[in-house]
Amino acid sequence: MISLDKLTKRFGAQTAVDALSFEVSPGQIVGFLGPNGAGKSTTLKMLTGMIEPSGGRAAVCGFDLQTQPIEVKRNVGFVPESGAVFESLTGLEYLEMVGALYGIPQNAARARIKQFIAFFDLSFETLTDKLLGAYSKGMRRKVVITSALLHNPPVVFFDEPLDGLDANAAVGFKALIQTLAREGKTIVYSSHILDVVERVCHRVIIIDKGKLLLDGKPDELVAAHDSGTLEKLFTRLTGGTELERRAEDFARTFRP
Amino acid sequence: MNAAEITLPPVLPEAPPIPEKTLRRLFLTLFLRGHGLRGLGRQGASGAPKSIAEKLGLALLFYFLFGCMALFFLRQPVFALAVYLHALTFVFLGMFVAASAGEILFNKEEADILLHRPVSPKAMLWAKIRVLVEISLWLAGAFNLVGLFVGLGSGRNWRFPIVHIFSTTMEALFCTGCVVLVYQLCLRWFGRERLENLMTISQVIVSIAAVMASQILPQMVMRVDRVLNVSEVSWWVNLLPPAWFAGLDDAFSGSAMLGSWILAAIGLGATALVLWIAFDKLARDYEIGLQALNETVSTRIKRGGRRRLADKLVNLPPLNWWLRDPVTRASFLLAAAYLIRDRDVKLRVYPGIAPILVIPFIFLIQNHGHGGSNDPGFGVPFSGVYLGMVPLLGLQQLQFSQQWKAADIFRAAPLHGPAAICRGARCAVLCLLVLPMMLLVALIVWLMRGNLSQLVLFLPGIIALPVFALVPNLGGHGVPLSQPTDPAKSATRGLNMIVVMIIAFALAGLTSFSWTQGWFWWLVLGEAVVAISLYSGLRLALAKSTWPSNE
Repeated sequence: MISLDKLTKRFGAQTAVDALSFEVSPGQIVGFLGPNGAGKSTTLKMLTGMIEPSGGRAAVCGFDLQTQPIEVKRNVGFVPESGAVFESLTGLEYLEMVGALYGIPQNAARARIKQFIAFFDLSFETLTDKLLGAYSKGMRRKVVITSALLHNPPVVFFDEPLDGLDANAAVGFKALIQTLAREGKTIVYSSHILDVVERVCHRVIIIDKGKLLLDGKPDELVAAHDSGTLEKLFTRLTGGTELERRAEDFARTFRP
Repeated sequence: MNAAEITLPPVLPEAPPIPEKTLRRLFLTLFLRGHGLRGLGRQGASGAPKSIAEKLGLALLFYFLFGCMALFFLRQPVFALAVYLHALTFVFLGMFVAASAGEILFNKEEADILLHRPVSPKAMLWAKIRVLVEISLWLAGAFNLVGLFVGLGSGRNWRFPIVHIFSTTMEALFCTGCVVLVYQLCLRWFGRERLENLMTISQVIVSIAAVMASQILPQMVMRVDRVLNVSEVSWWVNLLPPAWFAGLDDAFSGSAMLGSWILAAIGLGATALVLWIAFDKLARDYEIGLQALNETVSTRIKRGGRRRLADKLVNLPPLNWWLRDPVTRASFLLAAAYLIRDRDVKLRVYPGIAPILVIPFIFLIQNHGHGGSNDPGFGVPFSGVYLGMVPLLGLQQLQFSQQWKAADIFRAAPLHGPAAICRGARCAVLCLLVLPMMLLVALIVWLMRGNLSQLVLFLPGIIALPVFALVPNLGGHGVPLSQPTDPAKSATRGLNMIVVMIIAFALAGLTSFSWTQGWFWWLVLGEAVVAISLYSGLRLALAKSTWPSNE
């Protein structure tokens, strides 16, 4: 469903993604992990056609990223980390606009939107009467998630999707992506909340400095590296050594 | 909330919406409503916040009233009327497109929203161009409305309104195409890394040029009665785009001389060429530009560059004495950073104060060689008063920022009110805007007059400067970078300029009069007493002011 072959992105002299290669099958939920600046968001932006790779190849649903970018975009949904929306539109205007970009007629789009707002416990009045600029962060995130799934894409990329969601919405969201995966959708889930990744994802890919470090099932990786938890494995792999001791030392500096 | 509740129906194939139309509607809505409206509910039946709709209405009314000047051309030939209408239309459209194009063409926020949707960059570009042209035509329509009837009157050809609407549309396309072309050529020649800076520089230059043209062109137009027909105009007039489009009007509804046909052909050819290069040949560069804005590359501040210069400056006298208070010092560094680095702030501040350079310059030119060596005319004192108003205009624009929400940190800090924050911003404006401009204007006066003694005529303006600088902060308002950017686009900027001009005319007139009458120094003394009293009172009021409501 998703295939990367030595995918590379360079910004001048800096290599953000360094010859990354992996494949993802339909129905998989893949946790895409890495420390800050590892190249996760850049990889996701390349796979959604937002930025152009400097080298290598990638395909989504059989469509080549470089030669068929529009087809790729038609088949993916993306929740960016920024959660950006057009703040001067109402929620409904925004979602109908997104639907129209995918060729969904207004009535069909509205029917789907109603399903989503029921799922996310949003009121239709909020969606029609308030501009997105007046929404809370969590409400805005729900609108962004809705906009990513509105066209029923076979592949969905989530970049920190839980950011801003309350506990109930987060639980519902996790159940949602598991259900979507069971229905055959491919989900790439980038997050720093590792216990959620460990519970939800079938597979974990860890990258650092643009390079692939590990790829496998979470429990197998944890067992193979004798780490106990995914969090410990992650910190060991990405250079987070002696974090507890450093935190204690730092906290002591606040003593009067 | 249950995941099973969501069963997505299949996409219906019938009557799918056209993405290009959706994009056009989107960009038009965003333009009319502005970006980023904190806490606003939907206002008005149309959904557009009233303030922006009203401001657009006011702008159209202003253009319509200004267009009534076409009545002076009732008895003039078609070419003279057409040159007048196209010249001013060109200036107005140039100002509008130059001010709006950067934000519309390369909006950073929209990258995360639109670039992963199945629409081509070319479709996005066309949708944006259509919106730019559409709004340009509203403005042009309001300005040209009276001109259309004037063109019909006095026994002129009935074809004039039809041809003029066509030629004005061509002019709007040409104007928009030229601006887009400039951006694309910058991208092609200078690359992604320097795009932001180039966009800023080119927009600032175009905006300043448009402001200059708006001051100079009306004076030229006053002499347009000499432009009776196409065969009598100077050769260089034929090089100007308004003359090409005026030629189109004249060819189809006026004299139909050979020269008019040639100008018309040049106008149509140039428009077609610009559109072809901008929207076909270089469309790929637009895609690269959009992606460039989406790429988050850490920009390193050069060693020994501006940052270090600002840091060094605040540690040297007199700034280290002036900025003893750490809050004022921090605010100074923040305001300085935005005045130097932030594209959005630079685009508002520098074109906003451009008339301050241009208008006195025009008076200096007009007074050049006027009177004896001791006669300052109106230009020098006028320049001085304008300089005194730089902080007022600069601070008014500095309160707007795209990152205005970040200014909440000022309120979160343990500060009684915004006085110290505002003081830092005032210091930054004085150091970075007023001082360089003062030196520049002094240099211009010296070069044009060859007489440094007349620089004392700057004094009334400089004495009034500290008082003017406090005005934007009265009542705790005008906190730097704390307001969303959209209101800055409003027609109030023009209103501010009118108030500034009235004050400048009054004070400069008084200065000039007192100089010729021999009581200039008494005026300076009296003004100094009044200014010190006002300044002390205003500083006290500002120090006591608390944070204004954030609602």
